[in-house]
Amino acid sequence: MLDGIMTGISTAVLPINLFMVFIGCFVGTFIGMLPGLGPVSAIALMIPITYGLDPASGIILMAGVYYGAIFGGSTSSILINAPGCSSTVVTAFDGYPMAQKGQAGKALALAAYASFTGGTISAIFLLVAAPMLASVSLSFQSADYFALMVLGLTAVAAFSGKGQVLKAMLMTVLGLMISTIGTDRSSGVERFTFGNIDLMDGISFLLLAMATFALAEVVMAVLKRDHLKEEENQTDTSAIGSMKVTAEEVKEVAPTALRSSVLGFIVGVLPGAGATIAAFLAYGMERNLASAKEKLKFGTGSLRGLVAPESANNAASSGSFVPLLTLGIPGSGTTAIMLGALIAYGIQPGPRMLVDNPDVFWSVIISMYIGNIVLLILNLPLIPYISKLLMVPRTVLVPMILFFAITGVYLVSFNTFDIYMMVFFCMAAIGLRMLNFPMAPLLLGFVLGGLMEDNLRRALIISDGSLSFLWERPITAVIMTLALMVLLAPVLRNFFPKSRSKSTSVTSAEAN
Amino acid sequence: MSTPQRKSLSEDLIGSLLFLAFSAGYAYSATLIPAYPGDEYEPFTAQTLPLALSTMGVVLSLLLLVGTLKTRNAQNSEQALQQRATCMTDVKPDYDWKTVLQLIALMLFYAVGLKWLGFIIATTVFLAVGYWVLGERRKKILFGASLPFVLLFWFALTQLLDIYLAPGQLFHLLG
Repeated sequence: MLDGIMTGISTAVLPINLFMVFIGCFVGTFIGMLPGLGPVSAIALMIPITYGLDPASGIILMAGVYYGAIFGGSTSSILINAPGCSSTVVTAFDGYPMAQKGQAGKALALAAYASFTGGTISAIFLLVAAPMLASVSLSFQSADYFALMVLGLTAVAAFSGKGQVLKAMLMTVLGLMISTIGTDRSSGVERFTFGNIDLMDGISFLLLAMATFALAEVVMAVLKRDHLKEEENQTDTSAIGSMKVTAEEVKEVAPTALRSSVLGFIVGVLPGAGATIAAFLAYGMERNLASAKEKLKFGTGSLRGLVAPESANNAASSGSFVPLLTLGIPGSGTTAIMLGALIAYGIQPGPRMLVDNPDVFWSVIISMYIGNIVLLILNLPLIPYISKLLMVPRTVLVPMILFFAITGVYLVSFNTFDIYMMVFFCMAAIGLRMLNFPMAPLLLGFVLGGLMEDNLRRALIISDGSLSFLWERPITAVIMTLALMVLLAPVLRNFFPKSRSKSTSVTSAEAN
Repeated sequence: MSTPQRKSLSEDLIGSLLFLAFSAGYAYSATLIPAYPGDEYEPFTAQTLPLALSTMGVVLSLLLLVGTLKTRNAQNSEQALQQRATCMTDVKPDYDWKTVLQLIALMLFYAVGLKWLGFIIATTVFLAVGYWVLGERRKKILFGASLPFVLLFWFALTQLLDIYLAPGQLFHLLG
């Protein structure tokens, strides 16, 4: 492990990679700040740029964008009460009231410290947990992988919030259906191409991600007239007040940050849970632990109410890399898009990654720690200036984002058919969003579709067509049982009114 | 039943019917996937996953449909009288469909423009018209944030990154 850490450090501290971390954090913070655009869109917009880089630099850049976007989302939550992404919705509960009281600077500083704590603690946990899990999963076979993918997909559906489970499952199936378009990798047979040459290679994940997230989110904002409302609500971000945090305040929030970071990491590791649920759970936990007097402060500018979700969502972001790097199973929309990018680089995340590409594996983990330091350095002194970017008129930003999304896809294939496809998927995504269908399961199903089919095919051929492979090996049986339990959890929840009432508070729209 | 609940139910109804229709169409197309001789003896063919997925799609959308109809009926019978008594103030969401349709048309035009007019002209028009559609009327922004930006981007792509951007086919036709 020490060799690996040294390899990671030597790769991560290369000037180009340090530059990538810096750029990633900066761009991520900026895109994350734009209300409506979450980490998935931020990463999708950066993918075309990473194609020219080596895999380690590319994935480091995307990781930087990820936690930068989460922090950026907090900035807009605090300053204009418009969360950049679903995982920072909770930050606005206490962050925005603080800003209204003239304590925006303090709220931003606390958010930065909390994010740093969450990110750092989870990066250390990741350092220990990832190689352990990877060494265990080296013994996995096709059947186990298939079972793991089933678990990942069902977990995403199960964590989708009340009344959303069936819809999330339908979206997962839709994602899997879209992944079958094109030439079958095994038999060479064309499927669902309807004789169209442009569909023979299937649909690129970049196209789908850009259309369903970047394009659809921007167009949805226009549809809801958010671009006009935000300009009306724009506060004066030049006067954010002092960023100083007193020793008493640090003493008050330190235990909160530590508790929430641990909780956030654990939630992040669970497939499907993600940063949004981690933030809600940490906020709920902190509120339950608070004294009756302190409890009243929640929602009106409580420091603990701000620090808890901030630590948790950043810790969860790092935690979500555990299943991605060790098992090759993304647990959220964001890690799904990273999986797609890694596959495009020719790297298959999973247990073999530690053996075949140790430089990428370790440098990503080490870069997370560096990324947290960069975020702190970047955010504390620069936040008053970065927050001015919120003043850029949406009338300019919207066409620019549309342009970057379209060009990002076009410059990979140089095929205008891809733009028509993007528009089609964007319109479909808008329709589905309006019908309250979550988008993250679609992307997850799409990214895992090919891998799932390959593993299912291998497992079925080995077992001569019998489904007994699902329970023959103990590990497969355990994972399938877990998947079944996760799937049945929403049904069982109805029998326990207490847990049901809790679950209603965690109505996460997307497991980002 | 409150308005948001009713709205959610009709959303679920539409969603389930759409998915049911899509799954049925997908299932039909899956049966058209060509098979090799002897495929009937293989445990896994190109048709296996699509057929399994279409079955799952149909089952899940039926579950959503039945669940929605059941909830709807139960709530309708309980609160039908209440609803008649209370004046329901349906707040219509203020959606800006006109601008969205203009943006979608603009994106489609951009795809056509890239092929026939080339990158510089198509992108400049796309950005300038995009700003205009969203309500920007300042000439400084309309022109200043379109052509100079596109030229800079084009320079970075063609000169720095050495990416070849084909000129529009219209110019080939014109000679």
